[in-house]
Amino acid sequence: MRTRRSATLVFGCALVAVIVILAVASLVWLPYDPADTSGGRLASPGLPHLLGTDKLGRDLLTRLMVGARVALAVGIGSVLVGAALGVTSGLAAGFTTRWLDDTVAALLDILIAFPTLLVAMLVVAVRAASIGTVALAIGLAMSAVVARLTRVLVKRVLALDFITAARTAGTSWPRVVIGHVLPNIWPTLLVNLALQLGLAVLAEASLSYLGLGPPPPAASWGRMLQEAQATALTAPLGAIAPGVLLVVLVVGVNLVADGLRDVADPTRRRIR
Amino acid sequence: MNRTSSSRRSLIGAAVVAALALAPALTACGAGTDTSPPAAASPGASSTGAYDPNATIEIGSLYEPQNLDNTGGGGQGVTEAFNGNVYEGLFKLTDDGKVENLLATGYKVGADGLSYTFTLRDGVKFHSGKALTSADVKSSLEKVIGPASQSARKDSLSVIKSIETPDDSTVTVRLSAKSISFVYNLSYVWIVNAAAKDLATSEDGTGPYRLGTWKRGSTLSLSRFDGHWGTPATNKEVVFHYFTDASALDNALLTNAVDVVTSQQSPDALAQFTDNADYKVSDGHSTTKLLLAFNDRKAPFDKPLVRKAITSAIDNRKLLDSIWNGHGSLIGSMVPPTDPWYEDLTKINPYDVNLAKKELADAGFGGGFTFTLDTPNYDPHPTAAAFIKSELAKVGVTVNINVITADEWYTKVYKNHDFAATLQEHVNDRDVVWYGDPGFYWGYDDEQVIDWVKQAEQADSTDAQTALLKQVNRQIAEDAASDWLYLYPQIVVASADLQGYPINGLNSQFYAYGIKKSA
Repeated sequence: MRTRRSATLVFGCALVAVIVILAVASLVWLPYDPADTSGGRLASPGLPHLLGTDKLGRDLLTRLMVGARVALAVGIGSVLVGAALGVTSGLAAGFTTRWLDDTVAALLDILIAFPTLLVAMLVVAVRAASIGTVALAIGLAMSAVVARLTRVLVKRVLALDFITAARTAGTSWPRVVIGHVLPNIWPTLLVNLALQLGLAVLAEASLSYLGLGPPPPAASWGRMLQEAQATALTAPLGAIAPGVLLVVLVVGVNLVADGLRDVADPTRRRIR
Repeated sequence: MNRTSSSRRSLIGAAVVAALALAPALTACGAGTDTSPPAAASPGASSTGAYDPNATIEIGSLYEPQNLDNTGGGGQGVTEAFNGNVYEGLFKLTDDGKVENLLATGYKVGADGLSYTFTLRDGVKFHSGKALTSADVKSSLEKVIGPASQSARKDSLSVIKSIETPDDSTVTVRLSAKSISFVYNLSYVWIVNAAAKDLATSEDGTGPYRLGTWKRGSTLSLSRFDGHWGTPATNKEVVFHYFTDASALDNALLTNAVDVVTSQQSPDALAQFTDNADYKVSDGHSTTKLLLAFNDRKAPFDKPLVRKAITSAIDNRKLLDSIWNGHGSLIGSMVPPTDPWYEDLTKINPYDVNLAKKELADAGFGGGFTFTLDTPNYDPHPTAAAFIKSELAKVGVTVNINVITADEWYTKVYKNHDFAATLQEHVNDRDVVWYGDPGFYWGYDDEQVIDWVKQAEQADSTDAQTALLKQVNRQIAEDAASDWLYLYPQIVVASADLQGYPINGLNSQFYAYGIKKSA
C-alpha cells in the first residue's frame, strides 16, 4: 500500500542511487588516476577515455566519479552540521522564556535573510577552502533555516494536551523532549533536511564554480563546469556531464523529500 | 510552508545549474632620429584596398579603465584606450618594442651621462587648443614622480634630480645616476596640459583622438582630433566596448557588434573565427609571463639545484598546449622576444624527469618533500597548479595547493614574503631587472646579478646594456631563480574588413589611429 503511494520516493531513490553508486565505486575503482594528465587535450569520447578528457588531459569519467564523492560528502556533511546546530538551537528556543525566544526568533530571521551562498562565502574567505570548510560553511548557513523550523514545530507540539498531561503526571522536561517532542517533529524535520541536502549540493557546486570550493585538483562538479565553460564549443560533454549529474542528484533528493513527506503525512495519504 | 518554499528554491537552483551546464554556447632602444608622425601599426599597415576615412571602429575589450589618469590608478584599461591615442609621450614604444621619437624630435646626452636635453616638436597643440611648451613636459614629469603618483614607472624615473626649461621648446633633465633606460621609461610618460584639471574623468592630450563620451560600464568613445600635428587618424571614431565575460565578447564579434577584440583569452573560442573568411586571427607576442615563483630565501628553494629539479620536472610545453592549445611560447627565462636582450634559453633546464630526480637526490631530497603553492583563485592559476601538482608527484614532491584571492596574494606573498612558492602573471616588458633586487618578493639574491643589473642601467650604450642583461637572463635561468612556465600569446581577432591594428599589444597598449576599415 505504502509502496504504491510513494512512487516519487522510489524514483527519487533510484536517481540518488546512481550518484551513490558512482561515489562508492570511486572508492574502490577508478578508470584512471584523477591527476593523470596523459590523456591528451580534450580527447573525444570513446576508447580508452569513455567520456573523453579535459583541457589538462585528465579522464572525465574519473573526475565525475570523484566529483560524486565530493558532492555527497559536502551535502551530507553540511546537513549533519546544519541539523546538529539547527535542531539543538531550535529546541532550546522552543523551550525557553518568551523574551529569549523572541530574541532568538528575530536573530534567526536576520540570519535567514542572508543568502546561504553569501554566508558560506564569508566562512570560506576566513578559513582555507577544503571539503570540510565548505561543508561547515554551508551547514552553518543552513542551520538557521533548520532552527526556525524546529522552533515552530516544538512550539506546536508543546501546546498539545498530551504534553500538559505528561507534565501533570510528573514527567521531566528531558523525558518530554525525548519521549514526546522529538518523535512528533522528526518526520517533518527529515523531509526538510532532505530538501536542504539538495540545496547544499547546489551551494557546493556554486562555491566551486566561483573558485571557493575544495582546492584544485579536487574534482568538484562546480569547478568542472567552470573549467569547461571556455571549451564548451569544442568539447561540450565536459560542461554537460557534470551539469547533468548535478541535476540528477538534486532532482533525486527533492523527489526523495517529496516521497518522504507523502509517507510521513497521513493527511496527504488520504487525499491521494 | 517552509517545505514548499525550500522545494521551490531547490528546483530553481537546479534549473539554473542545468541551464549553466546545457547552454554554454549561449554565453558562450635607443631613440632614433625618426621625425615622422605616428605610422599605422602592422599588420597590413600598407593598405592596398580603399578604406573609409570616416569609419567608426568598434573595439571589444575586457579592460575598462578605473579612471582616466594613468598616474592615478587608471589601470590597464586606460593604457589600452589612451596610450598613443589620446595622450602622447616624448617617445613612443612601437608594437615591436622599439623606442621612437614622438613629441621630442631628438635629444642630447651630456658628457657625464647625467643630463638629457630634449627638443620638442613644433606645432603641437593640445585638444584644448593650447600649444605644447616645455612647461607642460616639466609638469607631466613631476606628476609621474610626485608623492601622489601611482605610476608603475615612478620608481624607475625617481633618478630625475631636476628639470629645467630654458625655452619653450627645450627641456633639460638632470639625473642623480646614469640611466640608460631613461628615454625608454619616458615612453610611458603622457604629456598633459599643465593647466588641465579633473584628469580622472576628462583629458587634455596631444594625441590623434580626443575623448568623446565615457559611459561607465559600457563604452568609451574617441573622436579624431583635426588639429593633430601628424598624419590624421585613418578613421573618424573609435568606440571601446567593455565586457566582463570573454564569451559575451566573442558573441559580440560574431554578431558584428564589435570589429576587433584586443586580446582573445580563450583559444577554444577561436575555432569559430579561424575557418571563417569574415574574420582574421593574428597570433603575436605578449609580454605576459606565467611564473612559478619560488621563495629563493627559504629552504628548500634556497638551493638552486632544488629549483632546477622542479623546473625540469614540469613539462611546460604540455602545460602551454593544455591551456593555450598551441598558442603562446616557451622562453626559458624572464625575457620575452620583444625585449632587446631576448635569448631562447629553453634548453638550460629542459623537461627531463630523470634529470630532475637526480638533481633532487644530489640536493639531499631523494625522498622528495612537501611544499605549499599559493595560487591566485583566477584563471589560469588553479589549472596550472593542478598540472604542477600532478607533474611533481612523479618525482616524489607533494604540492599542497592553497587558493588565495588577489588581495591575499598581495599581502601574504608580495608584501610579507610569507610563502614557499606561488604562481603569478608578470605583464611588463623589460622586467628582468627585478632579479637584481633582493628585496623583491621572490628574494633572488646573487651579487653578480645585482651588479650586472646596476651596470646595465648605467651603461654608456644600448649594446653594453643589452650584453649585460643577456648575462643576467642567462644566470637567472642557470640558477632557476623561478620557473618561467610560458609566455602568453597575444591573439587579436578582427573582422576581415579591418587592417592596421596592433598585433603584439605590448604592455596593453592598443594604437587605433592606423586602423583602416574597408569602404
